Amino acid sequence: MPLLSVADLRVGFATQRGLLRAVDGVSFDLAEGQTLGIVGESGSGKSVTAKTLMNLLPSYARVDGSITFDGRDVRAMASEGERHFWGVEMTMVFQDPMTSLNPVKKVGEQIAESLRVHLKRSRKEARDEAVDLLQQVGIPEPKKRLTQYPHELSGGLRQRVVIAMSLACSPRLLIADEPTTALDVTVQKHILDLLDELREERGMAMILITHDLGVVKGRADKIMVMYAGRTMEQADTTTLFSEMHHPYTEALLETIPRIDMASHARLVPIPGSPPDAVDLGPGCPFAQRCRYCSEACIPDRPDLKQLGHGHACACHTPVGTGSGTAAHMANQNSGVTPAGLDMGMFSPVGEEA
Amino acid sequence: MIVLARRLVQLVAVVLAVTFLAFTAMNTLGDPLFNVVGFVAAVDCDAVEAGEIEDISSQGGTTLGDCVVVAEAREEFHLNEPLPIRYGRWVGDLIRGDFGTSFKNRMPVSTVLADRLPKSLLLMGMAEVFAVALSVPWAIAAAYRANRAMDRASTIGAFGMLALPNFALGVILFYFFVVKWQIFPSRFEDDNLALRLKSLVLPALTLGMPLAATYFRLLRTDLITTLQEDFVVMAKAKGLSNRWIMFRHALRPSLFSMVTVFGLNTAALIGGALIVEQVFSIPGLGRALVEASIRDDYPVVLGATVVIATGFVIINFAVDLAYSYLDPRVRRES
Amino acid sequence: MDTPPQVDPAEQFGVVVARRLGFGFWIAAAWIIIIVTAGALAPWLPIADPNETGVGGRMDGPGWSNWFGTDSNGRDMFARTIWGARVSLIVGFFSVLLGICVGGTLGMIAGYFRGIVDRIISFSVFVLLAYPGLVLALLIVGLAGQTLPIVAMTLGIVAIAPIARLSRATTLVYSEREFVASARVLGATNRRIMVRELLPNVLIPMGALTLLGMAITIVAEGGLAFLGLSVEEGFSWGKMIVLGSSPRTLREGPWVAMFPIGAMFVTVLALNFAGDRLREYFDVRELGIGVG
Repeated sequence: MPLLSVADLRVGFATQRGLLRAVDGVSFDLAEGQTLGIVGESGSGKSVTAKTLMNLLPSYARVDGSITFDGRDVRAMASEGERHFWGVEMTMVFQDPMTSLNPVKKVGEQIAESLRVHLKRSRKEARDEAVDLLQQVGIPEPKKRLTQYPHELSGGLRQRVVIAMSLACSPRLLIADEPTTALDVTVQKHILDLLDELREERGMAMILITHDLGVVKGRADKIMVMYAGRTMEQADTTTLFSEMHHPYTEALLETIPRIDMASHARLVPIPGSPPDAVDLGPGCPFAQRCRYCSEACIPDRPDLKQLGHGHACACHTPVGTGSGTAAHMANQNSGVTPAGLDMGMFSPVGEEA
Repeated sequence: MIVLARRLVQLVAVVLAVTFLAFTAMNTLGDPLFNVVGFVAAVDCDAVEAGEIEDISSQGGTTLGDCVVVAEAREEFHLNEPLPIRYGRWVGDLIRGDFGTSFKNRMPVSTVLADRLPKSLLLMGMAEVFAVALSVPWAIAAAYRANRAMDRASTIGAFGMLALPNFALGVILFYFFVVKWQIFPSRFEDDNLALRLKSLVLPALTLGMPLAATYFRLLRTDLITTLQEDFVVMAKAKGLSNRWIMFRHALRPSLFSMVTVFGLNTAALIGGALIVEQVFSIPGLGRALVEASIRDDYPVVLGATVVIATGFVIINFAVDLAYSYLDPRVRRES
Repeated sequence: MDTPPQVDPAEQFGVVVARRLGFGFWIAAAWIIIIVTAGALAPWLPIADPNETGVGGRMDGPGWSNWFGTDSNGRDMFARTIWGARVSLIVGFFSVLLGICVGGTLGMIAGYFRGIVDRIISFSVFVLLAYPGLVLALLIVGLAGQTLPIVAMTLGIVAIAPIARLSRATTLVYSEREFVASARVLGATNRRIMVRELLPNVLIPMGALTLLGMAITIVAEGGLAFLGLSVEEGFSWGKMIVLGSSPRTLREGPWVAMFPIGAMFVTVLALNFAGDRLREYFDVRELGIGVG
């Protein structure tokens, strides 16, 4: 049985213009000790998914679907006001360590408080455990840090403190929402490696949310690519990278510069911007930006089709299949996609060889 | 230490500037002698002596003898000397701890202050206690459920409260609690502490309710802002209860504006609540100041001014200290 | 950056967050216009002579013949309330006008030139603020006399310091902006920059604050009345409240005090509300004229 099982999750926000579907029919399973990478651009619904799991949505959000954690109904626990689940079994690390620590509380207090609240530790026990935790996340001079305030620490150290905070009660699932986006490039890898190590040591499951396919490549067991609140493609990591089917996944990969690329390698931006989540229209949400777009994609939204071995893809003209190649050829010949996108938009940026 | 020294310099500068202004104004615009010798002060004795004005003493008017009284009083209070010298003399006495003598009853100003100040401070204390005790829980309750019915009603209520002048509130409270239901005494009763507290309840409420409305507005707004901060979301993700988050995370960083305004109001109340003391006949510093100003009794006005300005500077300093307690980031800068 | 879709909770409850003045503002404005008109036209309105005794009985309650009742001299309280508006509004308006002309200019000079000029003005403002506004007013009125111009002028002087502080802060903000910098680069004179570039920007918020300032000075005039320092001739709402608030009058005819209190309350409420909406509309900070 998987540790976490999400089935057909839907989250909507009522706005004056109509219902905003932030998450629309997302399902996934996550086993104990595994890492799931959720990848997508801003507004793809990945953070809303995380917030739903963490019960952090505002009260006016409309949630539908089931979330099961170790056989327990998470949404029922939320409505019953279960006190010792979030922060104990399931915790979260946020994007910006500058703002996610309370500026007026000492680092030690902030780490110790969940121990005191959830595990009823005494002041001294909690303090000792906080020192241990700071040591585990690789902070030098942990005793001294306890009495410091967040503003006295660097960004990297602060994120380590946030990680220590979320590990305090030995959670079984850690959700990391873009944990390195706000950090210096030099620090990013350290933090990601640290998260990996800690996960392995503790046998904890992890959901790693990022806009960068490169980040999850060597770290996640499974990857889910989201767009406009929907799952575009999901598979285990090796399958996804070897048999990538969705044009959006391919597009995401092409936006990432990689160290092993030649210096004049071509980076291809994704033209356009994510669609208006209130008014999606009937077709594939990615059609307007897709070079594989076919006539079928405009009126008809593709369902998520299971391809076997846990690989699923929502596309009428998947990359690497006959229909995909044909659609691409046709678009290239006419110079414009059926959605009206100029194929010239796909020319790479950067130096031409 | 440097901070303290700078504050001290500031205090001295403010006290000197304020008292010099008051001193000059009262001596040039008014007639200090009037209180000492009465209407005689207005008579031009030189003219009488020179026979330019008819001596009407036989008809009950001013005699040359009265002019002697005036001259003596001038001598006694050094009123013959030029203004700057008299001001210098006053400052010199002040440094030695001598506040001078009131023109009324020739009572030492320090005695007047010692009698009046405690009453005003007690009133100030009670008003602030009422205001804080009322506003903080009220703001917390409203911020919990921002924009719901209770919050909205409170915001409107606070807005209305602020439009009611405190003398009007005083008159209304006085009408109901003193005149109509006779729950509280109509004058200040000083016999024992219980009575003193009882007679200060209405004045303190009169002062405290608009203050409570002010504090409520500030704290509610700041709390709502703080509750949207990332660290509050983080605290929620840690599974902490709403109560814990409110009191241990959100409240302290939200107190800034309220503390600032609290300081300003407290400083203003040190000089006594002029109008409220008048409405409820409380012999506090404010009333002493009012009476002395009307009578041109400048030693008392200046003495009270020194107390008020000192209080203002001290409280400003205390507010700065409170800032550094509330936010460790301020600590590093100072 | 993957924030959840922004749904303003206020939007949820149908609150209009857009930049507009709103219905309440127009109600408040309507009240202000009514009371100003009534005050201005008082001599020509078909109401009783406010000083004529025996219009009704002594201490008649509110009724058909005397809407707001009569006082112990049998004078009509409705007529008196309207006449009281005259003095209160004149004092309120002219004192704020003075405060804005003097305080606004000083603040602009301090904020624009900085340096020693700023230091001198800022210290003077600090000194004035250290002194309770009402005591200052008391000194001046007590010494200079209780006439309408002096009362208005005095409250205006009291308003100078806080207005100067606000105008200095606003000027500081604006003189940092590009349009001032570019005017400087183009070789405009200081005076020209202040009058052409800064003044309009400082004036708009100041105008919005006139209403808030009027509310404060109308109340302050009432405060002076309680200290026995209102105008000697004629009467304001404040003076009427004082006359009606002796224990004996309160016992025999509470309406004598309550109607002027009500009139002052509603007017101050309307001024505050309209001023607040305007302030939000022009997005300016709060004014702190501390009087009393």
